[in-house]
Amino acid sequence: MATRQVVVRCNYKTTVKDPGVKGVLIMMEDRIIFTPNDPTSVKLTIGLESVHKHLFNRKGNHKEALLNLILDTAINGGRCIFEFENFSERDVCWEFISKFLTNKLQSKKSCRKDPKPVSEIFSAEQLSTAEMDFRMKLLEENNELQKLHKQFVLSGVLSESEFWVTRKELLSTDASKALKQRVGFKSAMITDINPVPDGRSNKVTFNLTPEIIDQIFAEKPAVHKAYLKFVPYKFLEVEFWRKYCRAKYLYKESNVAAVVAAADDDEVIASFFKGDETVANDSRRKLRRVDPTLDMEADQGDDYMHRDESKGAIDLKCDEYNLSHNLNRHAAVVLQGRAEHVALGNTWTVAEALSRSKQAGLDESATQAARMEMVYRMVAIEDLQDPHHKLPFAPLSIKDPRQYYDFQHANAVRNVGDAEFSTKPISHDLNTQHTWGSLKNLISDMRENGFSDPVVRPDVALKVLKDLTQHHSSTKYHIIGKSPQENILDRLENKKEVLHHSASTQELLKHFWSSYPITTSYHFTKVSRLIDAMSEIYLKLQGIKESVQSDFRHQISQLVQPMLHALDAAFGHYDTHTQNRGLGKTQ
Amino acid sequence: MKFQIEEITVYFPYDHIYPEQYSYMLDLKRALDAKGHCLLEMPTGTGKTIALLSLITSYSLSKPQTPIKLLYCTRTVHEMEKTLAELRLLYTYQVKHLGESAQILAIGLSSRKNLCVNPNVVSGSTRDSVDAGCRKRTASWVRELASTNPNIETCQFFDNFDRMGSDNYVLPAGVYTLQDLRSFGKEKGWCPYYLARRMVRLANVVVYSYQYLLDPKVSGIISQEMQRECVVVFDEAHNIDNVCIEALSVSVRRQTLEGATRNLSKMAQEIDRLKATDAGRLRAEYNRLVDGLAQRGNLPITDAWLSNPALPDDILKEAVPGNIRKSEHFLSVLRRLVQYLKGRLETENVEKEGPVSFVASINAQAGIDQKMMKFFYDRLHSLMLTLEITDTDEFLHIQTICDFATLVGTYTRGFSIIIEPFDERMPHIPDPVLQLSCHDASLAIKPVFDRFQSVVITSGTLSPIDLYPRLLNFHPVISRSFTMSLTRDCICPMVLTRGSDQLPVSTKFDMRSDPGVVRNYGRLLLEMAAAVPDGIVCFFVSYSYMDGIVNSWNEVGILQEIMQHKLVFIETQDVVETTLALDNYRRACDCGRGAIFFSVARGKVAEGIDFDRHYGRLVIMYGVPFQYTLSRILLARLEYLRETFQIKEGDFLTFDALRQAAQCVGRVIRSKADYGMMIFADKRYSRHDKRSKLPGWILSHLRDAHLNLSTDMALHIAREFLRKMAQPYDKAGSSGKKTLLSQEDLEKLGDRDPADMLF
Repeated sequence: MATRQVVVRCNYKTTVKDPGVKGVLIMMEDRIIFTPNDPTSVKLTIGLESVHKHLFNRKGNHKEALLNLILDTAINGGRCIFEFENFSERDVCWEFISKFLTNKLQSKKSCRKDPKPVSEIFSAEQLSTAEMDFRMKLLEENNELQKLHKQFVLSGVLSESEFWVTRKELLSTDASKALKQRVGFKSAMITDINPVPDGRSNKVTFNLTPEIIDQIFAEKPAVHKAYLKFVPYKFLEVEFWRKYCRAKYLYKESNVAAVVAAADDDEVIASFFKGDETVANDSRRKLRRVDPTLDMEADQGDDYMHRDESKGAIDLKCDEYNLSHNLNRHAAVVLQGRAEHVALGNTWTVAEALSRSKQAGLDESATQAARMEMVYRMVAIEDLQDPHHKLPFAPLSIKDPRQYYDFQHANAVRNVGDAEFSTKPISHDLNTQHTWGSLKNLISDMRENGFSDPVVRPDVALKVLKDLTQHHSSTKYHIIGKSPQENILDRLENKKEVLHHSASTQELLKHFWSSYPITTSYHFTKVSRLIDAMSEIYLKLQGIKESVQSDFRHQISQLVQPMLHALDAAFGHYDTHTQNRGLGKTQ
Repeated sequence: MKFQIEEITVYFPYDHIYPEQYSYMLDLKRALDAKGHCLLEMPTGTGKTIALLSLITSYSLSKPQTPIKLLYCTRTVHEMEKTLAELRLLYTYQVKHLGESAQILAIGLSSRKNLCVNPNVVSGSTRDSVDAGCRKRTASWVRELASTNPNIETCQFFDNFDRMGSDNYVLPAGVYTLQDLRSFGKEKGWCPYYLARRMVRLANVVVYSYQYLLDPKVSGIISQEMQRECVVVFDEAHNIDNVCIEALSVSVRRQTLEGATRNLSKMAQEIDRLKATDAGRLRAEYNRLVDGLAQRGNLPITDAWLSNPALPDDILKEAVPGNIRKSEHFLSVLRRLVQYLKGRLETENVEKEGPVSFVASINAQAGIDQKMMKFFYDRLHSLMLTLEITDTDEFLHIQTICDFATLVGTYTRGFSIIIEPFDERMPHIPDPVLQLSCHDASLAIKPVFDRFQSVVITSGTLSPIDLYPRLLNFHPVISRSFTMSLTRDCICPMVLTRGSDQLPVSTKFDMRSDPGVVRNYGRLLLEMAAAVPDGIVCFFVSYSYMDGIVNSWNEVGILQEIMQHKLVFIETQDVVETTLALDNYRRACDCGRGAIFFSVARGKVAEGIDFDRHYGRLVIMYGVPFQYTLSRILLARLEYLRETFQIKEGDFLTFDALRQAAQCVGRVIRSKADYGMMIFADKRYSRHDKRSKLPGWILSHLRDAHLNLSTDMALHIAREFLRKMAQPYDKAGSSGKKTLLSQEDLEKLGDRDPADMLF
């Protein structure tokens, strides 16, 4: 890298809230020097080696441009924040540091002679700002994720890319969601791009935005075609639109004669008004897909009475400006929507994309069978059919599943009670509430009606009861307990902590197991890092377990046990693996 | 379900039936028993078509010894498709329950344009060019030539069809829509058009257009072979009188005459050529004509010409008058006729004449007598056959002239000839036209009534029902108008007389261009578009009015505001565009946000497109769709009606306008589960003489409180109505009358008419 340095004005802060110290930041190849304007303040010098990470905030209207450097904990409290005057300056600095960091990593990795993960990391570091923004947004939206990110990525247990690689689906699904909703055309018609007279001279000004141009192309195939034909081979874009606006203006002043004259003079203007063979073909093709019960064109074929009324040639010159035609065309275009997402702005690409989408549209064709199927559906009289006849039913939408299932249980229980002392032995598979409820009902029934007949054999009843109490007591305090009061979690002071630990264990385990089999040293270091982090959590969990009072301890341990077990299993696996490895090496 | 109507077991493809359907079937059955004609009005959305189809097919099934054939006539091709779809539903049900014995053959028949599968032929843009393209490849002489000369193109589909001995072939049982016929034809490599033509004779049910029975030019070849034991159904027959009249009306313009002159000189050349090469052929034709026209029946199917059933049989057997037997003589007579007509077109004033005096003046000036003119149509076609002319679309003009001559020569009353030097609406553009207009609807339909044992005329709007027998001159054995028993008030007609500013609205000639009225109409739509979910349909009185008002809405920005709520589609004179607009309209409604469709009363959309369910929750009828009252033809017809049937002009005009309006608004309801609102936006609807002409099923729901509304009140009512309709309800009808009958209900009922009894 050539000797290069960046000099910018900025604020130095220790925390985000800190008002900061104004000064000048000089970035050099090996170090960063911050010289405050106020000479009484401390001059800051940071060696770039000590920078671990560099974070930055998103661009926004009312946000400061921040750059956060994570340093060795020994230096400067582990972090320092710079606020820049604008984002572009910040980006320059960010780039500078990221280049350095990648170099550093590369050199580190190359020392280890393991180029493969290097490239991985390298590519991961070269994220586009859009992706970066998106990740930031995800983190912002999801508190838990943010916590995990903070805990592992910032502490260096996992790298940024490792963290995100397991959340690919999160990234991708959101991306596709973003794509799914596309902006269509406005439903209001651009009747006329209104000319703005400037008052003094005879000049008028037209304003064409990319959106309007897009719509003009979609709704006026003649203009679209002319554009593709003439621009940029014959005219510049501006010239083309000038001609278009001129024709438009002349027409608006209802100076049809002038339009015609202009059209005669100028092939471009003439082409605006030309009826297009492809349009006719297009509509003919579309006609074939139309529901036969709507097809009025077929009538003409059967109409022997009006044979003499051959359709007079429609005056094409005015066709373009026929309001009815425009209305239909506009509505059809809106209905069709934008075929593919193209960034507006570059007129040529917009025009190209439109013709491409038209080509693509040619291929799709509704099958005849589907058409006929539709006709039969239309023809059938619904309310004469019995409801059980394949009537379409509305899908159930449950807003609160818990409430719904509770309600369903109540129903089910009632049904069981209604079934007049069924002699079937009560299945043990029935879930707790269910059985409990029915038993309660049975008992209350017996109270009212007396014991007419010992329908339930005493031994079975006893067994059920036993099972029930045992089951009930054990599940009562399960994490997903039914009512909040019964939930042990909610009664715990450090609930959040436990939940967080659970999430982090999961995260770590996920990474841990996904690193097996260990094939490269990269995996190996990763695993050892993970094991360290896990043992830390293990200890913390133990701590929680021990900290609670004795009457809680059982339940807490039930809660924590699965996590501990999982961690134990991981440790066990790790140990055997390292032993094997050691053996393999010695052998 | 399966139930008895007297001795007939009716198979009905649904689990329930509306009481009106049952009564409808009962009346229909009695008319069939009596072998007479009947006239039945039943509201739209009560399943007329399926009731009709299932009764007639069941009737025919239960009397296998005297099977009856059903000729079902629809107004349009898309209605034909709908009918066939319902028939297939029924057929599947019947076959499931009865097995093999219920198998029938049902086909739809249309023109070559809709049935042809030969890609080279069907690519023609108009019907006439497709017809000509077909003849060019299938005419007997062309095929004869092709057998020796391989360069002549024939149609392989027809060749295959002909080769397999088409006379003995019968299509497998089933219901064939036009599409099915095409697919079948493609698969087998046979011509679907001729296959369908052949099958018409054998099929149990034939669905085709009105014109195949009513238009003398077509009905001769298509419907000639139908036996008397046919039930003819005219569905959506509220306009049948107009169809009949159109079928016998001809208009001749300058272009027609010029074209005819060209045709004549071309034919003269052909004759000269033929004289030189093959004089024998001309002589053979001459001999044939001496023997009379009846010989024509032996021609091969592809050569058969549209014949003229308007001519009585004795004329057919008569020899063609001697002075037109020779082809060159005939041509010179035609030339004289064309010359005479040209002279008549050069008039400065509007002229109106009866056929008798017109014929007399032709006789005096051109020397063509009435008897000769009667034969022109057939004589021309005989000549064209002899000359082996295949590009028939080129010869349309001379055909028009001959149509005209034959009609003038045949009828002495019920017609008038009107010559106008220019269009009334554009007096500065000379556009002379000579119109032979028929005033008497009974002329065209008479052969149908005479020939077939039962003719059923049915529609949603036949009010006043006593007028139709007079217009069509027949005596129905049953004539009945059904009301609709509703489970809930699912239609909500309103008469809007004032706009939001409380000023009256109307499309009366002196008010229609008033900006206040235009604005009020626009605001009405705008507010309704914001309040009504799904589809809204607006009908205007004419294309020009619609264009005008939509343009003004566009200028003042109302249209933009409307578009904020719903997409707007509009009917144009171009059918292709309109069809696509309709298709898009439906898709927009399917999307959930709804759309608005602007259409024209008496237009193609109003005639046969349903706006049921979410495709139409509100219809706004802007104005009263009167006919253009200054038209000479209409005036002549009114005069004729007054003289012949003692129908007052005003009454007829109102009747005609209101049946159109009712037809437009009736398109919203498809079943009793459906619902919709109808707004009649014109102050004239509040007058009793207009309103009372609406069909009973609309009137019975038109409350007194809804007779004189302003926009804000209408909006309030609409909101209430929509809220009410959104509530769940009992489909079978809860209290009092039942509106949905199950099989048990019908068994309890026995043979009584459900309309007479309370449940």
